[in-house]
Amino acid sequence: MLVKRLLPFMLLLVLSSCYRILSSEGGGQIEKSPNARAINAADIALPEGYTIEAVATGLTFPTSVAFDAEGRLYVIEAGYSYGEVFLEPKLLRVEAGGNLTTIATGEKNGPWTGITYHNGNFYVAEGGELKGGKILRISPKGEINALVEDLPTKGDHHTNGPAIGPDGNVYFALGTATNSAVVGPDNYNYGWLKRHPDFHDIPCQDVTLTGQNYTSEIPLASKSGKQTTGPYSPYGTPASAGQVIQGALPCSGAVFKITPEGGNMELVAWGFRNPFGLAFSPTGKLYVSDNSFDVRGSRPAWGTGDYLWEIQQGLWYGWPDFTGGKPLHNKSYAPPGEKTPQRLLANHPNTPPKPAAVLGVHSSSNGLDFSTNNNFGYAGEAFIAQFGDMAPQVGKVLDPVGFKVMRVNVQNGVIKEFAANKGKENGPASKLKSGGLERPIAVKFSPDGTSLYVVDFGIMRMTKENSFPQQNSGVIWKISKK
Amino acid sequence: MKTTYAILILCCLLFVIACGTAKRGTPHYASVATTKEAVAKGEVVYNIYCQKCHPGGATGVGPALNNKPLPGTAIRFQVRHGMGMMPAFKEDVISDEEMDNLIAYMKVLRKAKDKTK
Repeated sequence: MLVKRLLPFMLLLVLSSCYRILSSEGGGQIEKSPNARAINAADIALPEGYTIEAVATGLTFPTSVAFDAEGRLYVIEAGYSYGEVFLEPKLLRVEAGGNLTTIATGEKNGPWTGITYHNGNFYVAEGGELKGGKILRISPKGEINALVEDLPTKGDHHTNGPAIGPDGNVYFALGTATNSAVVGPDNYNYGWLKRHPDFHDIPCQDVTLTGQNYTSEIPLASKSGKQTTGPYSPYGTPASAGQVIQGALPCSGAVFKITPEGGNMELVAWGFRNPFGLAFSPTGKLYVSDNSFDVRGSRPAWGTGDYLWEIQQGLWYGWPDFTGGKPLHNKSYAPPGEKTPQRLLANHPNTPPKPAAVLGVHSSSNGLDFSTNNNFGYAGEAFIAQFGDMAPQVGKVLDPVGFKVMRVNVQNGVIKEFAANKGKENGPASKLKSGGLERPIAVKFSPDGTSLYVVDFGIMRMTKENSFPQQNSGVIWKISKK
Repeated sequence: MKTTYAILILCCLLFVIACGTAKRGTPHYASVATTKEAVAKGEVVYNIYCQKCHPGGATGVGPALNNKPLPGTAIRFQVRHGMGMMPAFKEDVISDEEMDNLIAYMKVLRKAKDKTK
């Protein structure tokens, strides 16, 4: 009799989504971080004919590498990580044997998210979590000059890049303050809303709102009790239908370019969420990786992949109302048991384009570079470092997503695995209890294109409420053809 | 009573098949053979619509696809009608020809998974 009663429920169980039933199994969901990181290149799988080795270890939050005119390798340590860890960012030279020489030390305004070398100087993107973002020029002797500053990136996402274009200009990107344009409880949990209670996203041109508002309550000293907040507005400031939010430059979720001297800041494209990686293809086209929506905050969105975009001058790419060229106001993007994300903008600047490739939901597909050398292989394809999911904070995953290096055919959007940990399971080495990849955050080909350097941020344990990055666990890997 | 137990066992099996996780996708050392035109075209369709939730056929936000012993008809039905959190992909999104290619690719994807070391 009991069995008969259970039958309909069993059927329902089968016919309903596994997603609702199973718990999150993110790559960072480990009970505790290991005391020390094991490093074993043999634990990493590569295509036949390639080899990998660790060339620098013990780094704290490394995010990017560059090569000077002599081909010497440099790495930056971010100086900030999710989890509210503030340190001094550093530019380090990696000497033969893996020893590190400090070239420059920045102020506590990280994260330094990217570096490139051009005509005798380094160009670094300073994230700006405390004082706003900057693009820095650093001489080989370590003298630091800010080319631009006060960039509006004190929130969830930072100042990213830079990359040098075929025109000789410095291209960089600014991430958005929020997940989906509405300041709320998730931003309080991240930490920045306590520091900057009036900070919010800025559109690049005037936008007219639909009047959608969101109510939340957080223990913010200056704005306690229930607060109603509209898009592109400070926490606790409601919006009204037809309200025009004035655009301004610099703005959130956008790509810009400046001259190497820092002049003529020009908007290239906007409507991104967190445009993290910038690279020019061998044919001179700019590609940008973009971390898509999370299931968090006042306007959560479910099931949106990360994207690789080919950039066209002046276009709006869809944030906060589109994902991958499709309207976000669709029930397929509603988190389980929650409302469909509502449209925020009454008019859209243009129909957003389709992405060049769609990457895994929550994969955190970040730094990228193009292969240019047939001796290495896959010339013309984009290589992308996947930091890996930050579940359960960003949403649920049924198994770890990312923690690999992928290659992408930008002509047809086909993605293939290039470097990943061995074994039947996917995930970071700390979860697999191996000595392989942890959280790849950037990739960079050597100047001659014969080797691919993978910047591995290190261990980051995750809980629903917080991130726990582990200092001295970062690694630079070098992949070469045998 | 025997019928009841049989249905119950069937339901459990369906659940395991539907929600069981293939921990890994199709790594480079067991790559999918895309020499057939339909499979190559299906790979492109898969990467546009399926890859983000089922990276490489493995578990991600969605359950694994590369361990489901489903016939093409069942795959077609689920893609067209959706299920649970999975949205439906109608003919105006994935055409019949694209669907045929997608199924051809997914069958090869399943075989490639068996070669995973």
